Amino acid sequence: MTYPYVVWLVLFVVIPMLMIVFYAFTNAGNDILFFKFTLENFTRFFQDADFLRVLYTSLKIAFLTTIICVLIGYPTAYVIAKQDENKQAIYILLLTLPMWINMLVRTYAWKGILMNFDVSSEFKVFVGMVYNFLPYMIIQIYTSLAKMDKNLLNAAYDLGANKMQTFLRVVLPLSIPGVISGITLVFLPAVSSFFIPKLLGGGDYVLIGNLIETYFITTGDWNFGSAISLIMAIIIIISMYFTKKIDKKIGEE
Amino acid sequence: MRKLIEFRNIVKTFDNQVVLKGINLNVYENEFVTLLGPSGCGKSTLLRILGGFLQQDEGTIIFDGQCIDDVPAYKREINTVFQRYALFPHLDVFDNIAFGLRIKKVAEDVIDQKVTRMLSLVNLEGYEHRNVTLLSGGQQQRVAIARALVNEPEVLLLDEPLGALDLKLRQEMQRELKRIQQEVGITFIYVTHDQEEALTMSDKIVVMRDGEIQQVGTPLEIYNEPANEYVAKFIGESNIIEGVMVEDYKVKFDEKVFDCDDFGFKENEPVDVLIRPEDIKIVGRTGALMKGEVKSVLFKGVHYEIVVETISGASKTVTMHILSEHDTYNAEANEKIGANDFFVDLEDVDALDDFNLVARANAQAWDEEENDLSIANITHNIENKVGTYDCTFQTQKNTEITIKVHVVDPVYVEDAKKNIGISAFDFFVTAEEVKESMAISTDLKTWASAEAWNLQDDSEIEITDVKFDFDTAEIKEGSYEITFATQGREYKIETTTVHEEGDKVGLTFDRNDIHVMSKMVV
Repeated sequence: MTYPYVVWLVLFVVIPMLMIVFYAFTNAGNDILFFKFTLENFTRFFQDADFLRVLYTSLKIAFLTTIICVLIGYPTAYVIAKQDENKQAIYILLLTLPMWINMLVRTYAWKGILMNFDVSSEFKVFVGMVYNFLPYMIIQIYTSLAKMDKNLLNAAYDLGANKMQTFLRVVLPLSIPGVISGITLVFLPAVSSFFIPKLLGGGDYVLIGNLIETYFITTGDWNFGSAISLIMAIIIIISMYFTKKIDKKIGEE
Repeated sequence: MRKLIEFRNIVKTFDNQVVLKGINLNVYENEFVTLLGPSGCGKSTLLRILGGFLQQDEGTIIFDGQCIDDVPAYKREINTVFQRYALFPHLDVFDNIAFGLRIKKVAEDVIDQKVTRMLSLVNLEGYEHRNVTLLSGGQQQRVAIARALVNEPEVLLLDEPLGALDLKLRQEMQRELKRIQQEVGITFIYVTHDQEEALTMSDKIVVMRDGEIQQVGTPLEIYNEPANEYVAKFIGESNIIEGVMVEDYKVKFDEKVFDCDDFGFKENEPVDVLIRPEDIKIVGRTGALMKGEVKSVLFKGVHYEIVVETISGASKTVTMHILSEHDTYNAEANEKIGANDFFVDLEDVDALDDFNLVARANAQAWDEEENDLSIANITHNIENKVGTYDCTFQTQKNTEITIKVHVVDPVYVEDAKKNIGISAFDFFVTAEEVKESMAISTDLKTWASAEAWNLQDDSEIEITDVKFDFDTAEIKEGSYEITFATQGREYKIETTTVHEEGDKVGLTFDRNDIHVMSKMVV
């Protein structure tokens, strides 16, 4: 019974991935029968200071977005999880309500709002990202807090822990898995987002997502675009590996 | 003994429902106290109020001479073992047990010592660094106990701690808990709905019902001298008989006066009489206090549970007429139709609509492929008078059958002494219908319209006994007698000697096995 899934997987995951890898290691002008593998696309990327600066900016803004999302998201999720059950449902509904409207439209709205303020392009992009990705963080943390057995809190009080100690020694460690999956859900789209910087940052603010878009659509250099995508993918895999490790380490402690 | 905890008039209400109706209770030092009652009786609520997880609406708790109503849970010298253990899943066995000590900032080497001692107390040496989520139910239970006891509380609260364990493990843990309690010498307050658990471990049992205390006493007191019917039924198997206290030391039940040890009731006061199943002995019929017939024998492992009926219930005997196959065949339409004569009570004639006629006569019709057809037309001349009338059932294609309906005077038996009326009618069925019956007793009741009721308030009484003397698989045309009866006075007896169903036996018991209880105020 897994055949339909396998077909789906091959068609929509494996083949596109292989095509990206194939393009990344070849040059324009090759056809399917006569082609030559090359590392030229990669050397080009790493030798150009501009490209590296774009990579650095992308990672920096994604990282900052994630941090802010945790700092705002955790207290919000905690407060929601403390409410009565029917109230919780209403708060979560309110939180997800804006997501029923297309992200692009909402980002346009922010463009209008931020136009009135004299702030840097970077700050505008940053606000847009936090706004767009915060709900994912809140929902992940909220879920891990809400499913926590209330008796664990009673047990902690029973053993002499006050509210603060209970939070630090029981609630926080048990909600870390939620925080980690929240980080994954925020960092990944933030690092590769292209229309938020495009709309809010104006033409002069370029992130790696915009770079990829340009090479595919404007320049038509699919090979170099694929190479950048592959570099991005590897960076993401490495960062996910480290988050998993941190998660495990906290779990063991 | 020093009084440690005093509940004074504790009242608790949830959503306008009073869960605790003014509980007064004293708990002493080193006692193993069990709060016993069915779910919803308020026992867990009382425990949670003592633990500090709930606030009572009224009343005061005095702990060691001090009012603790405003002391938060984490400052009370009380620790709890929770129903589902509530172990911290992110900590291993050692860290779970050390949790309370670390909060108190005890030095690590002292913690090490204390935790190790606790682990050996609960027989979990060598489990220090196991993951608690991978332990068995019994082991988790032990960790939870160790985690609570390591804080050296004055009182340990246990909220149905053995509920999730299987029988064997539960019995093992019962002994274990008792041993631990005796070893550490502190007060245990234990909540359970399991009477056996309560009897095994407790020094004192508190039986609760609907937010009120029914009785407080040692296991022996509760078992031998239950305060009322509720306590008696909750603790162990019991025979409870309505009786009258004629005078001191004389109680009358089942129409006989017995000597007993109870006194202090009003003259001729209605009471409940309790006789435990293991206190009744089955003897020969001569010299027995009561005579009866064995109704059922159930093997229970260590003993047999035998039910003896000493006084039979109200009964009514009717005749079942087995008819030959009498379906009418209509060759023209290729259809068959069948129906039976029946008797009906004069009082019930008015209620005989078409639907009832079809049901009482069991009228059925079939086409050539044995598919059921509906009865399209019913004609009859039944009057509201005793007599015999014709009734004709007809299908769409005019296939018809005519039966006799006998209207008769009401034929019920009144048993004034037991206050029961019982009625049933003679009836006609085919041998085929008897053979095909899946549940013969139920079908016989339906065919005979057998019913019994209370003469005073007309409430329905179940007919528990249908007696007949034929083999349903081999039944032939003819008449058979069937007796319907309500339940009589039955005694449950535990014995190790076996008896056959139907044996005529005598019963005897000692005068001090009769326990007289006041009627419950409902």
